[in-house]
Amino acid sequence: MYLDPFQEKTLRGELGEAKQFAMEIVSKVGDAVGADELVPIKSAHVLAHYSSLHDAGVEVLERFANSGGRFAVPTSVDPASIDLQNWKSFGVPEDYARQQFRLCDAYARMGGMRCWTCVQYQVCNFPKEGDVVAWAESSAVVFANSILGSRSNKITAGMDIACAVLGLTPRFGMLLDENRQARISFKLVLKGLTDLDYRSIGFFVGRNAGARVPSLTGLPSSVTSDQIKHLGAGAAAAGPVTMIHFPGITPGSKRMVEASGGERVEEMEITRSSLNDIESDLNQTSEFPDLVAFGVPHLSVNELGELAKLLDGRRLKKGVKMYAYTSSQSYDMAERAGISATIERTGARISHSTDAEISPLKALGFNTVLTNSAKLAEIVSSEGEIRVGYATQKEIIERVTS
Amino acid sequence: MGSARGDALVSQGAFTFAHGVDPSTGVVTDVRSDVRGMNVKGKILFYPFGKGSTTASSWFLETVRLGNNPVAVVTEAVDLSAVIGSVMARVVYGKEIPVISGVPRTAYSALKSGDKIFLDAERGEVRAER
Repeated sequence: MYLDPFQEKTLRGELGEAKQFAMEIVSKVGDAVGADELVPIKSAHVLAHYSSLHDAGVEVLERFANSGGRFAVPTSVDPASIDLQNWKSFGVPEDYARQQFRLCDAYARMGGMRCWTCVQYQVCNFPKEGDVVAWAESSAVVFANSILGSRSNKITAGMDIACAVLGLTPRFGMLLDENRQARISFKLVLKGLTDLDYRSIGFFVGRNAGARVPSLTGLPSSVTSDQIKHLGAGAAAAGPVTMIHFPGITPGSKRMVEASGGERVEEMEITRSSLNDIESDLNQTSEFPDLVAFGVPHLSVNELGELAKLLDGRRLKKGVKMYAYTSSQSYDMAERAGISATIERTGARISHSTDAEISPLKALGFNTVLTNSAKLAEIVSSEGEIRVGYATQKEIIERVTS
Repeated sequence: MGSARGDALVSQGAFTFAHGVDPSTGVVTDVRSDVRGMNVKGKILFYPFGKGSTTASSWFLETVRLGNNPVAVVTEAVDLSAVIGSVMARVVYGKEIPVISGVPRTAYSALKSGDKIFLDAERGEVRAER
């Protein structure tokens, strides 16, 4: 990969240790993926949660912060592994919290926005069409490429910080026109979609697209950005998907012919039976849960409002906890709107700045989780320690409340 | 870059270190993986493409920190998580874990887990040693 004279200087350490460390990472990754040069980014989104970064990640982030690393572009951050405000009342062990707060401290010293959310595009980080960004968080990358029309690769832990410190990212993959064309086309041939269907459709697409960019037609015109958020998250959880063309929605893809660049591509129908297969794979237990989790990825304030309506007047049964996960900003709005009070009257809680799939569920004493999130169901069952049920929000509420 | 020698561990489906490998042992925990229960430690790990969370490179790096990492990774599509994990391993812990991308599944479909492999990332060479 070509480095200009200024970037060469950075690599030699003439702009300080943190930038040198960042350039070392970015240039080596650029070489490995066959990038031709570095290009400027408009924003970054990085990871700083202990459950996935582990002690190695704490070492890396502190190394950046301690050597003077500062973010060169507006930078948002994925949820933490604990509710940063109410972690004690959620039963998080003190030594676990301490490692998370080391990450929070290093991140804050580097000048990042303290949003702690996986839906930064609904809260604080809004690139426009055509902007190049370097985002971590697989579900957000799908949203950026597919809905915002911005361009991001799925930047993984370590590289995310390096790009943010430099304000640069290697040009390859989803930054290039030729890699953004649909190479498999999914057609939805069923109507009357539930909340769960959107997640399962995404999961089906992710599982069957492989490394090809998919397109998806047949969604109802009533589809909301929240529903697409969950669909994209399901897709990214199941496979390497970083973009889905939704002809008529995705910028630059008014029709299928634009999505695929005029090429004929393989077509695959999504039927009720396709979704049944996904459901039976993700729904691994019908046991009564000890945790119900909504909001992987984070619920918007509108979704919290819908949840409150469904819960209003009900009472959570004994032996089960219900957490709805959201960003700190939506948490505040829900509180001011009285939504939180309605939800909490049932015995459920809203947790912000963290999310279920990256919190230490096992250490918090949970063995059986019930959710309408395909992403959470996939991740939790991958770890093999917790049994997971997968059902619609309505069905879940009927099962665990009276 | 560098070279590596070891037993093959061959996953036919999408693979991820994130929530899918226990860094403290190297054992594959992912219930959807066809190599669940096997150990990545010291292996040449083959898989067609990655999946899921962008945290995978830090899970990878944690296996390196704890000495439970594969000695090389071979994929069909570029898996950025493995590439970044490998770069971080070199920069942070001084360990070389070559990653080779662009090897079609058909080229290694006859391989079985346990076959002896020699790999040279410099020359882009992956060879079974019978």
